[in-house]
Amino acid sequence: MNRNILVLSMLVLGGVLTTVGFIMAFFFTPPVLGPAVTNEAGRILGYQPLFSQKIFYFHVPVALSSFLVFFFTAFYGVRFLMTKEKQYDTRAKVATEVTLMFVILTMATGVLWTRFEWGRWWVWEPRLTTYFIMTLLVIAYFVLRNSIEDEERRATYAAVFGIIAFIDAPISFAITRIIPSSVHPVVLRSGGGLTGSQLAAFLIGLFGMLMIAYAIFNTRMREELVHDRLEAVKAALEG
Amino acid sequence: MDPVLEEIYALVVPSLPYVAGAYAILWIALVAYIGMAYSRVGRLEKEIAVLEESLERRGISA
Repeated sequence: MNRNILVLSMLVLGGVLTTVGFIMAFFFTPPVLGPAVTNEAGRILGYQPLFSQKIFYFHVPVALSSFLVFFFTAFYGVRFLMTKEKQYDTRAKVATEVTLMFVILTMATGVLWTRFEWGRWWVWEPRLTTYFIMTLLVIAYFVLRNSIEDEERRATYAAVFGIIAFIDAPISFAITRIIPSSVHPVVLRSGGGLTGSQLAAFLIGLFGMLMIAYAIFNTRMREELVHDRLEAVKAALEG
Repeated sequence: MDPVLEEIYALVVPSLPYVAGAYAILWIALVAYIGMAYSRVGRLEKEIAVLEESLERRGISA
């Protein structure tokens, strides 16, 4: 199958799966219950359903995708340092660009949840802080690239920086488990994490989002390759 | 549809603007980003086609 058709198919399938996941989350998964509602005597009358928890079904897949795509920044960084081939530097750069996109979306969807549930736009708790550091590192990656003119030196420094920066991703992922007092919810855990229908909606959304990330990465790579080809054609015309 | 959810959605849901806002931001950003990437690829490919035609006429290979 033609690669471009494969990428487009992944994009469409990803869009369909995420939409199915979200529809399942909104209409078929049971609500998560929050704080108890009590009467004047302190007797529990019921529990407040948390509709805001529905954000989780797209916030977490986007966040996990950002971690996974960021892994490829480090992976291609290692590949570049091993081979010194330009294609790996380009792949690392594109992976970081896609990471930035997903990081911004994770932040945007996350702060809306935080604003409603915690009453504040931002809380300096471990998960948010480590993820914010990751965001700054991703931005710093591009600042570093733009500050070095020599192509080979830029690629080498960016590869090393990308590998070191990625260390923050597993820390950010695991921090809610390392520091149990963190107020950030721990969704993926054993025992009482998600019910069957919640897990199904979440996994469908996650696979869809990963497909979208794959399609975006490949589309951007195609753009880079076409751009390189254009430069080669221009050089041939001028030479 | 889940009967409990049906009852909940029939009531006023205070977090709805936040959930809908988050969902909208996500899709608007993704569609815009992908759309821009595809449009740039299309523009570059058209540019290449024109230049390659010019190369062919001159008998140069890129």
